[in-house]
Amino acid sequence: MVFDDLRNYNESALNALTKAISTKKVIEKDNRPVNLNLLTINLPIIGLSSILHRISGLAVFICFPLLVWLLSISLESEKRFSDLQNSFQEMVLFKLVIFLIFVGFIYHLLAGVKKLLSEVFGFGETLKSGSLLSWTVFGLTFVMSFMVLFKIFNL
Amino acid sequence: MSQVIPVEQLKSLTMSIYRYDPSVDEKPYMQDIVIEVPTDKDIMVLDALHLAKDQEPSLSYRRSCREGVCGSDGMNINGKNGLACVTPLSEVVKRNKLTIRPMPGLPVVRDLIVDMKQFFDQLEKVKPYLITNSDNPEIERTQSPEEREELDGLYECILCGCCSTSCPSFWWNPDKFLGPAALLQSWRFIADSRDEATEERLDALEDSFSLYRCHGIMNCVSVCPKGLNPTEAISNIRNKLINREK
Repeated sequence: MVFDDLRNYNESALNALTKAISTKKVIEKDNRPVNLNLLTINLPIIGLSSILHRISGLAVFICFPLLVWLLSISLESEKRFSDLQNSFQEMVLFKLVIFLIFVGFIYHLLAGVKKLLSEVFGFGETLKSGSLLSWTVFGLTFVMSFMVLFKIFNL
Repeated sequence: MSQVIPVEQLKSLTMSIYRYDPSVDEKPYMQDIVIEVPTDKDIMVLDALHLAKDQEPSLSYRRSCREGVCGSDGMNINGKNGLACVTPLSEVVKRNKLTIRPMPGLPVVRDLIVDMKQFFDQLEKVKPYLITNSDNPEIERTQSPEEREELDGLYECILCGCCSTSCPSFWWNPDKFLGPAALLQSWRFIADSRDEATEERLDALEDSFSLYRCHGIMNCVSVCPKGLNPTEAISNIRNKLINREK
């Protein structure tokens, strides 16, 4: 009987000790630093275009309710529509916001087409062709944004 | 570097090196070490590290073959992963400065040495060896030259870890996304005409993380010291996954 108690006691002490050691190990492991300062890591053009694709997608998604809201206002009545039109013509900030949403949308659309091209047809899977494709997307975005800019600001 | 070089052929280069000794340091820090490098010839980053270690003997890094075969000295050199032993200073030094950090995303053991466990755990998952069910042939399993050619650009991988540790998808999910190195090896055995476990290999990659976390960022291709293309290998596996009959 006494021996059993002693054995149980020993076992529980051993378990506690094992647990303590393993917990400590886990803590030590977590304490090790990881070099992951994104500002120090070089990002090639293909990576940049891929990350901007996600950021622009998120931004356009967040701005989408705003556009729907504007649409609903414009559909309420003829007067509301012309009010909205007037405020759009008068407020530079309004125009700027719409322009920026356009830029994000254009970029996201073109980068999406690029992604489809590479996933479906295997275009741009070498470093050279991939970089070329990314530059093309940036270039086209630039050109199309300017077209929108001219249109919006009546330049 | 025991050879004596006349003073006029040397110029100083500032190396900024990531230092961390768990027994002494609370946090990692960057240490500047000024070394003298020859001007009349190009030396490798590994040679520069040896020169820095002459001044700072506690500096630790892995190295072995010093010729790009063993894959020990993968590190982040001026922001880009590469093997120190096959990267000449002329290729990476900018404004007379050379910044060296350990490979990103893996826990640092000490200075430039990282714990590669996560990397090799992922490699293990793709079973990087031939699997056959049929009876052993009398002599050997033969391949035609064309079948053998399929493995070019795949078998050369030395598992240095430069690609996987430059991959943002691997940084965020090192336990679920297999990473470019393991996926290149996976394709190496799927593409092998002698391997008989293609279906099982593809089954294991069907989930949304193992392979599909690749977003085509292609950092892996841009850093590979052997000039291999994991993105292409991943896309080959993806096509096979999509096109197979279930």
